[in-house]
Amino acid sequence: MKVPVRWLQELVHTDLTPAEIAQRLTMAGLQAEHISEIGTTWDRVYVGLVERVEPHPNADRLVLATVVAGEHRLTVVTGAPNIRAGQKVALALVGARLFDGYSDKPTMFTLKPSTIRGVRSEGMVCSEKELGLSDEHEGILVLDPDAPVGVPLRDYLGESVIEFEITPNLVHAFSMVGIARELGALIDAPVEIPPLADLSGVPRDDRLVTVEAPDLCPRYVGVVIENVRVAPSPAWMQRRLSAAGVRPISNIVDITNYVMLEWGQPLHAFDYRFLHEGRIVVRRARPGECIETLDHVGRELTPDTLVIADANRAVAIAGVMGGLESEVRDDTTTILLEAANFNMLNIRRTARAQRLRTEASARFERGLDPNLVWPATQRAVALIRELNPDARVTVLADAYAAPRLPTTLAMPRTEIPRLLGVDYPDEVVLDVLRRLDFKPTIQEVEGVRSVVVEVPTYRSDISIPADLVEEVARVVGYESLPETLPWGQTVRVERDPMRRLIDGVQDILVAAGLTEIITYPMLSEEDLRALTPYATALPARYGFFARPEHDLVAARNPLRSEWTMMRPTLLPAWLKNVAENLKHTRAVAVFETARVYLPRGVDELPDERPTLCLGFAGERHPVDLYHPARPVDFFDAKGVVDVLLPRLGAVDIAVRPIAHHSLHPGRAAEITVRGKPVGILGEVHPVVAEQFGIPAGQRVALAEIDLRAVFDTGLRDVELRPVSRYQSVEQDFAIVVDEAVPAEAVAEAIRSGAGPLATDVRLFDIYRGPAIPAGTKSLAYRVTLEAPDRPLSEKELERVRSRIEGQVKRRVGGALRT
Amino acid sequence: MYDDVEQIRQRAEQELAAAADSGALAEWHARYLGRKGQVTTLTRRLGALPPEARPAFGQAVNALKLALQEAFERRQEEVRRAELTQRLQAEAVDVTLPGRRPDIGTLHPVTQMIREVTEVFAHLGFQTVEGPEVEDAYYAFDALNIPKEHPARDVWDTIFIQSESREIVLRPHTSPMQIRTMERSTPPVRVVVPGRCYRYEALDATHEWHFHQIEGLAVDERITMSDLKGTLAEFARQIFGRERKVRFRCDYFPFVEPGVDFAIDCMFCKGAGCRVCKGTGWIEILGAGMVHPNLLVNVGYDPARYTGFAFGMGVERLVMLRYGVQDIRAFYQGDVRFLAQFNRPAA
Repeated sequence: MKVPVRWLQELVHTDLTPAEIAQRLTMAGLQAEHISEIGTTWDRVYVGLVERVEPHPNADRLVLATVVAGEHRLTVVTGAPNIRAGQKVALALVGARLFDGYSDKPTMFTLKPSTIRGVRSEGMVCSEKELGLSDEHEGILVLDPDAPVGVPLRDYLGESVIEFEITPNLVHAFSMVGIARELGALIDAPVEIPPLADLSGVPRDDRLVTVEAPDLCPRYVGVVIENVRVAPSPAWMQRRLSAAGVRPISNIVDITNYVMLEWGQPLHAFDYRFLHEGRIVVRRARPGECIETLDHVGRELTPDTLVIADANRAVAIAGVMGGLESEVRDDTTTILLEAANFNMLNIRRTARAQRLRTEASARFERGLDPNLVWPATQRAVALIRELNPDARVTVLADAYAAPRLPTTLAMPRTEIPRLLGVDYPDEVVLDVLRRLDFKPTIQEVEGVRSVVVEVPTYRSDISIPADLVEEVARVVGYESLPETLPWGQTVRVERDPMRRLIDGVQDILVAAGLTEIITYPMLSEEDLRALTPYATALPARYGFFARPEHDLVAARNPLRSEWTMMRPTLLPAWLKNVAENLKHTRAVAVFETARVYLPRGVDELPDERPTLCLGFAGERHPVDLYHPARPVDFFDAKGVVDVLLPRLGAVDIAVRPIAHHSLHPGRAAEITVRGKPVGILGEVHPVVAEQFGIPAGQRVALAEIDLRAVFDTGLRDVELRPVSRYQSVEQDFAIVVDEAVPAEAVAEAIRSGAGPLATDVRLFDIYRGPAIPAGTKSLAYRVTLEAPDRPLSEKELERVRSRIEGQVKRRVGGALRT
Repeated sequence: MYDDVEQIRQRAEQELAAAADSGALAEWHARYLGRKGQVTTLTRRLGALPPEARPAFGQAVNALKLALQEAFERRQEEVRRAELTQRLQAEAVDVTLPGRRPDIGTLHPVTQMIREVTEVFAHLGFQTVEGPEVEDAYYAFDALNIPKEHPARDVWDTIFIQSESREIVLRPHTSPMQIRTMERSTPPVRVVVPGRCYRYEALDATHEWHFHQIEGLAVDERITMSDLKGTLAEFARQIFGRERKVRFRCDYFPFVEPGVDFAIDCMFCKGAGCRVCKGTGWIEILGAGMVHPNLLVNVGYDPARYTGFAFGMGVERLVMLRYGVQDIRAFYQGDVRFLAQFNRPAA
């Protein structure tokens, strides 16, 4: 809400600067977002009086105006059609900084003397646009007749406007009067209520207003005013409306807006000629009922829409916008002024359904005080009389079946120290609450010493003792609170084991040279299709995860078409990231630990599984003096997995080849721990890589691992084994096997042959070539043997060698090469 | 005879001094002390001497042998040392050549900040817990004192999930875990909750539809707003520096009463006013307040006995403030050239 400071100062007297006012209110909960200054650029611009207007000797469309301002008397040449002798105007002297009236964008220039069609012009009379007040450039700005000639325009018209954010609880401060009340309470100054009309003598006629839906309209005041004359409103009112961000239209409409800004109560004026039978009916819309609103939009109304109708048809959507037909126009002479209170939820729904949020609906949907209706009516009538001295108020009706009364609220006196941890003296508490109009007293309530207040009806935000505690604290000032730490029993602080596992994964991978990424958890149908380029039916799995039998977790209102559902796999986002990074980085090594969202059924919350995606793309290392360029492959990803899983405590880890639609058919594997699948590992299928924008020829190797599944296999803590005091022995074995035998099977055969003496079995060479039969390979292993309690003897080593030989032969059909 | 001994000694000593490498030394050794060496040959002459002359000559030859052996060893050591020095000199490298660097990755700055903040709170006795991102509207709104149609519900422009009879949302804040945590425990409660949140919001340099929050909650007898202030001040000073001043101002959130906006003095201008703090000297870093009694009632706690405080902060904002990141979107574009810069512990 925009608050012109001069207006505010009229309602509550203060010497505080605009910045200080903003600061005080901000600290108390009414946040000032912005202060804009009108007129800071107006150097050498004064209030001038037009003495004389003469025709220009050489131009039909221009005139010569003689303007005085203090000691200045100038002749200016102007083309303004509205200039007249006797007007007060904004006179700019040479050197003034003004806005270019003909430019679309705000552009400033410095005024210089000029000669126009042979006549010298020594200054300029300004339009609103040239002063930066508005876009108006049809004619010059004409000031009020009482404007003081000769004073700097800044002193007369300059204004500071503070823009406040009105949080949903602050409906009572959604008006000039409301903000004045807040400021008054903070600085302990009274609020000067502007003049209100006395309506006690106006004849009342209940037939004027019929409320058929009292549940949606707690109060409706209608006032008929005759003999009004529609004209532009005076400059001061237009100026205030503009400063507050409302466009001036004509006096009657401007008054309704002015009162809305001043009191927070929206008003509406109907042209009484167009109300059938001259009466108002407040009811729900009839099936199929339509209305054309002021914005020239024809709108169909639903039966839960509250309308203001005459005897025949809807003339306004209650609380949102008036109808075009009964709009006040230039020849209107009799109006019906509406001030009403509507159900907040209904207005909110209607405004949403019609996609029509107005200044009125924004206020009604926060829940206004029905008692606000009356002073707003009085104020509007007073202004109409001020602007239209001949206007006559002929009749009014006030349909207010259940008047809202102030409520009483008791707060135990101890509530303040209990919640704040600090207490204030009774006098301070009572003084603050008095300043806020709560009429506080201290009483015993059910044996408890309490502060009892009467809550004004406009403070709908106050309903429990904690609300009063806040009132006291915010007016005294939150800065009065000391800094203490919680007292009492501490809570057992344990780290969640799953979190510990995830942190461990991250730390290991960072140490292994991978950089962590965080990607958006939503993706599209298209992303999933890109994972299965050759599929004709739905794929069996997304990344590691089996395709859920239920529909994926999808948004009802997706923000963008690329983010329609919660991801069931990390692969698409990871691949997109890699594609982006490959544009500028040759060696990409990234991982993400994030959740995948596996649906459990309609209306069920999904299973959010912590998952890891890691891998490499492009080259394995940035090429340097020591590393030749080498494209990544399967074994780069596998090597990280080989290090990672045992370090997490996983035991009995195995990798076996699988077929996976997203992976290279010859380089795809499943990872199992204790026989349970926990992840996939492989090179990305080139067609899939291409779908995600990875350049052809760039290899990508990744693993996706379900960390919950890893966790559930039962992770083992460190089990220390003593370090042997005896020398270990390294023995090399070259084993010739059929090409089809997996290397891991050979290693397994060696391990089983060596038994517990083997502490390490390491493949260090593979040979294929003329020295061995075609279709075979020779795998060279270095086996470290060691006993905890004795040196190994030659005899023992010989036994181990022959057992290994036997196992290799039996299990994989291999022979020791000598 | 004795002249021979003396001649051999002189010659051997001269030649030994001239032997400059281990090859020459080996030759010298063979020539004088080897099996067919000149000294060894002298001892053979012993048999040709009268028996009474033999001991004296034997002693002279032995003395020569010992002296030469000793000289040889000394010389050998000298030569070895010289040779080693020469070899090492030949191995000199250009020490300005690059080293062989191990690859080390970096943690995402958001992860680092979450770890840092949760650790600070762990020392203050807060346990870290996590909760669902796809959340029941009851936990995301209703139980937090934000009933349907409440105007406050507008503040969270929410992404809703397709469902039939139950309202399910992507949590717009981590606050649902206040309710879930209280539901499954009894006071005293002290938790912090990091996690992803979502809003139906257009992206720009300071707004993300997807971001991280850390929620905090403490409920017990005698928890006060001064405790909240002290706890948050401690947090802010550990993250942003010991010298930070803190500011509480009144603010509104439906699930707290009284409500607080928590700010620290601007570390860029030291409170003088700059672009980062928009000239105010203060930087708002989180919302907080005393747990609204309705929440306590919703989870079956007695609001006459227990009080609590709660707070919620945006993690990206903390990182942006600390490192001067200008555009929030950088966190999720995942450019490794950006991420790799967060590669050292915060000072």
